Amino acid sequence: VAPIFDVCIVGSGAGGGTLAAHLAQQGVQVAVVEGGPPVNTRTDFNTHALPFNFANRHIPTMRGGKYGMTSERARGVGGKTMLWNAVALRLSHRDFKGYTIDGAGADWPLDYPDMAPYYERIEREIGVCGNRDGLEDLPDGIYLDPPPLKSGDLLLQRDAKRLGIPIIHTRKATLTRPSATRLACHYCGNCMAGCDVAAKYNSVDAHMAPAMKTGRLAIFPNSVVREVMVSNENRATGVRFIHRETGAEGEIRARCVAVACACVQSVGLLLMSESRLYPQGLANSSGQLGRNYIPHFNSGVEGFLADLIGRQVVNDEGFIDHAYLPSYMHLQKRDYARSFGVQIYTGIRRTTGWAREVPGFGADYKLRVKQRFPAYVTFQCFGEMIPNPQSYIQLDKTEKDEFGLYKVKAIAVQEENERKVYEAMTKAAVDILQKSGGEILSISNFDVPTFNHALGGCRMGSDPRTSVLNSYCRSHDVPNLYVVDGSVFPSASEKNPTLTIMALAARAADNISDRFKKGEMA
Amino acid sequence: MTSRREALKIIGAVGVTCAFPFSANELYGQHVHPPTQGEPQDVKPGAPFEPQFFSPAQLLVVSRLADLIIPTTDTPGAVAAGVPQYIDLVVHGDPKLQATFQAGLQGLDKTSQTRFGSAFLQLTEAQQVEILTSLTQATDEKKPPTENAPQGDVSFFRAIKGLTADGYYTSRIGLMQELGYNGDGVLAAFPVFTIPEH
Repeated sequence: VAPIFDVCIVGSGAGGGTLAAHLAQQGVQVAVVEGGPPVNTRTDFNTHALPFNFANRHIPTMRGGKYGMTSERARGVGGKTMLWNAVALRLSHRDFKGYTIDGAGADWPLDYPDMAPYYERIEREIGVCGNRDGLEDLPDGIYLDPPPLKSGDLLLQRDAKRLGIPIIHTRKATLTRPSATRLACHYCGNCMAGCDVAAKYNSVDAHMAPAMKTGRLAIFPNSVVREVMVSNENRATGVRFIHRETGAEGEIRARCVAVACACVQSVGLLLMSESRLYPQGLANSSGQLGRNYIPHFNSGVEGFLADLIGRQVVNDEGFIDHAYLPSYMHLQKRDYARSFGVQIYTGIRRTTGWAREVPGFGADYKLRVKQRFPAYVTFQCFGEMIPNPQSYIQLDKTEKDEFGLYKVKAIAVQEENERKVYEAMTKAAVDILQKSGGEILSISNFDVPTFNHALGGCRMGSDPRTSVLNSYCRSHDVPNLYVVDGSVFPSASEKNPTLTIMALAARAADNISDRFKKGEMA
Repeated sequence: MTSRREALKIIGAVGVTCAFPFSANELYGQHVHPPTQGEPQDVKPGAPFEPQFFSPAQLLVVSRLADLIIPTTDTPGAVAAGVPQYIDLVVHGDPKLQATFQAGLQGLDKTSQTRFGSAFLQLTEAQQVEILTSLTQATDEKKPPTENAPQGDVSFFRAIKGLTADGYYTSRIGLMQELGYNGDGVLAAFPVFTIPEH
């Protein structure tokens, strides 16, 4: 007879990993089911590879042809936390109550004071570096010292200040001092290839590995979950999975199930879990599952800082982006709802894809590229999307993947407010670069949309008719089913979501363990 | 160094003080890089190779173009950095690029014949540069195609310039020697920069 766990968690990234660790530490027996293989940050990533180590100059994510973090699904224990850029921002009251403030989108069923203790707990556990900047729309947390700004960041900060635009140190879940179990960042600059010393947070080294020592956490890798099972008594009873290597089917039974396999895949899994009680997908009596898909939309501006053209190259790759343009739009007159934030990349990089866009050819061209190498800057702008009916997550019933499961498609359509935010954030980047006398290399186009940070599709809310989950990430329909990842966001904010996903997971963990103590999970 | 037991205790003490489970910097020395498993593909300057896609005659034109785009100066140029081999590899795996290159290589010779009476490789360096100057104006200044820069030639030039830049600046010669990239080292602390008037 298969063992019965207290909680079965599908997925092992920021949501699943945090939830698993918190539950195990609180005395709950946890099974984590992950579709990909175990990943060892010390040996499995090409952190220090350079492009010319490979014939096609493309550095593969996994060493030695190993299966794993090769796609958007980021299958592998640790999920996308292995490859993230580690920006760790708190959401603000303005983010949680955006609808109340400007009438667009939806409010969260909780507010900043509900989240603040959980943000703090997570920051203390994982280590976040940053400054306390005292901004209204970007609450300060508990921080390690940030690395210094690069010279390009300082120039932009100076010029942005003349325009009344703030530029601050970014806040990242990367250790700038060693912890008891993880080394400090050594600024090799290849964070998103996987950090080989786990200075950058990942859910294995920082959350699950320590929790394994409780003896209450079991990880089932290479197990692709195809269905969350639900009984006729309306209780989630566990999951069915397919073993990635053998194709064998298996089941894990538990008293509570939490789905945390990243926004789009989590919604897909619930939609696939059709049953007599839930013919339209599990926990979908509201019909809201898959709706309100609100990923961040991006714009980008690339160019060169005049003051740095032709300067000597110094090793300032750092931990990629050191500077951030935080939300300030609410302080001025504007014709759109919500706001934007900008990640600012300066300093040298091992990738120089921009060189192909530098004009000319021959010795002049070669010199032009060389002079611009230390001066290159990218502004990556993130805007908040307002939910609309054309943006949704759905099963694509015409196509199946290698495991015979329907593919999941996510469609995002930008509307008028998005256009206005897009123009404003692009203009801010262009203005700053022009103020510093820089050269503009390229500006992205609104009509060629790019999205990042999948969010929404399984939103929380206080009304079960218009939302899927309550404020503890628990299903309105099924009392022992939780969803803990970016899909739960009712409004996206412009801020990078991962710290909030972890804080929500910690909050859900408290709720789950309380309910075990009260006997509600029998 | 804080022991694990102490560290967990401090983690558990949420909200008491701003006490981090972080010690001083004594762990830096523990960072040892495991060897990278990718085989180094550095191309020795002048090393011959067997093209997978281009004919020997085409390879000569591609190599000439690559070296006109990124010539040897005080550092080696595109051919010495193995760019033709890289272009051959990429085009071999991309049917769309194959069509662009097949048509473009033919078109280039046709334009060379029309303008200067010989195939591209037989032109003087000044004539070759003149042809590329017409093409680069069309790509950089987004000018409409002309007789001297027909659409096929322009698309081809855009493609080969892009691949030459990609291949060169991802080579050891391009990235390390020409650009002076030195970012992959281990720093105990990130340097402090200052700028005037800040």
